[in-house]
Amino acid sequence: MSVIVAAVIWIALLGPVIALLTHLSWSAIRSSLSAPGALDPLVVSLESGAVTLGVLVVIGTPLAWLMARGRLPFPRVWEAGVLCSLLLPPLVIGLLLIFMVGPYTPIGELLGHLNLSATNTFLALCLAEVYESAPYYVLSAQAAFSGVDPRLEQQAQLLGDRPARVFRRVTLPLATPGLAMGLSVAWARAMGAFGAVIIIAYHPFGIPLQIYTTLQETGLASALPFALVLLVVALPLPLAAYIWSARAERRRRG
Amino acid sequence: MLNADVEVDRRDFTVRASIAVPPGGRLALFGPSGAGKTTILEVIAGLVAPRRGRVVLGERVLTATSPPVRAVPPWKRRVGLLRQDPALFPHLSVRANLAYGGTAGEPELAEMAGVLGLGGLLNAMPARLSGGQGHRVALGRLLLAPCDALLLDEPFTGLDASLRRGLTDLVAGLVTARGVPAVLVAHELADAQAFADRLAVLDRGELLQDGPPDEVVLRPASRRAAELVGYLGFVPVQGLPEGAGLAGIHPERTLPGAHPDHGVVLTGTVSTRRPAGAGWEADVRVAGTVITCRLPDRPPDGEFVLTALDPPYFGPDGTAVPAPDRRPEQGRGQGRGQVRG
Repeated sequence: MSVIVAAVIWIALLGPVIALLTHLSWSAIRSSLSAPGALDPLVVSLESGAVTLGVLVVIGTPLAWLMARGRLPFPRVWEAGVLCSLLLPPLVIGLLLIFMVGPYTPIGELLGHLNLSATNTFLALCLAEVYESAPYYVLSAQAAFSGVDPRLEQQAQLLGDRPARVFRRVTLPLATPGLAMGLSVAWARAMGAFGAVIIIAYHPFGIPLQIYTTLQETGLASALPFALVLLVVALPLPLAAYIWSARAERRRRG
Repeated sequence: MLNADVEVDRRDFTVRASIAVPPGGRLALFGPSGAGKTTILEVIAGLVAPRRGRVVLGERVLTATSPPVRAVPPWKRRVGLLRQDPALFPHLSVRANLAYGGTAGEPELAEMAGVLGLGGLLNAMPARLSGGQGHRVALGRLLLAPCDALLLDEPFTGLDASLRRGLTDLVAGLVTARGVPAVLVAHELADAQAFADRLAVLDRGELLQDGPPDEVVLRPASRRAAELVGYLGFVPVQGLPEGAGLAGIHPERTLPGAHPDHGVVLTGTVSTRRPAGAGWEADVRVAGTVITCRLPDRPPDGEFVLTALDPPYFGPDGTAVPAPDRRPEQGRGQGRGQVRG
């Protein structure tokens, strides 16, 4: 009985994916994807996604570690701050980014001096993706680090490892499955980032905007193949992270 | 030689202790939970900074709060700490755990695994180990790392008695063989006695007594120390050097019947009795106070005579005073005193 209930819920949740797969035809895929420049947005999405992940790892990991280890005063305030950007709708994030880094703001002017712009550029796209996906990574990285028993780190220190070495030999390997899961969720968010992107980085096109404009210009049928592309490029990383962390867990059980 | 002289503020009291352990020496810090025993170990390990103190291991000053100030970080102390939780690295095999802190080569590692009975488990993951095996791996990991002192914080609590005894003997042997000073924290007297060649009694941060285990147990320095090592009854006696005082009665140091040559003869009435192991435990009302005693046989109803074997005596201020028979003017077996309930 419980299996049936679970199956019904599961299929309902997978409904959109099932709809996508049942409404696609090979000819539509072929004609959509073979148009000149049809795969350029894919490249843009992959590149901006990779940059986003890099930025998240560099800025998100230390913040998550400090939050997890209680090294920060008023820990709830820090968490609430991260949650805040999770609670803001992406569209609103995009609007606010205009006020933050738009051409007539101090930051925008500073970027202008460096011949950079944070609107309608690759930089703007990465920025929007970072803001849309950062809380997912930071919060799961925090959970991953919290799951590492501080006594293990203490023991490693007493066995002669300085803190940086403890982090590399104990903390990181134990947190990696959780970090990988967080990173893959962030990747999926970055790949699908749309709300903030459409406001601040209409160009260059990533896949989500391509789906949107194709939908606007030529209709639903020709937009669907790009949805499949999005699914296909966004999915492998989370899947790999999932399989890998499950294997790490199994190995640990011996 | 490990010398530690520490003062650490805790929420409701200050831990003050001064201990010295020679190479190969085994000190047990014994006291109730929350007495500050673990805090002392953590200061020695460098995990807690003392308000005032000095820790010296061999020639190395590890902690000094008076100039020249020193606070060697934990990873440079070469001090091993074994806690109740063996804290094995779950992502590493037994072999990698053993080798973690070590510069030890494969032969040394294999030898240690042999000594600890871990030979067949080197490739196992920690999750597969039993409690006793986990502790042995943790111990081996400490001993294979550069380790000039060994700190044991109730390491074997929670294991069954025979396993605990075996591991305690193993550690004691290894400490002696290595010639490193070792400090054990215990809240069970039997655990402390099984390991240590010296016993320090700690209560609310104060070191009450420090001496050979036998001396501490048989001649506690104060009434509080006596209570902690298991004296459950204190009977008023006369004829002490300071006049009136108390004799400490340990349940395991009582004999039924009158044996004036062996201690104080007490006469009282049995108020309650219950089976205890292979014998009996009874509460006996003597001179307005209740003492507990262990007896081989079921005590009778009504008047009961028993002898407290060579009990320690305490003056009105709670400090130990000499036994009456130790006064030179009294011969042995004379004036041991008799107390009637």
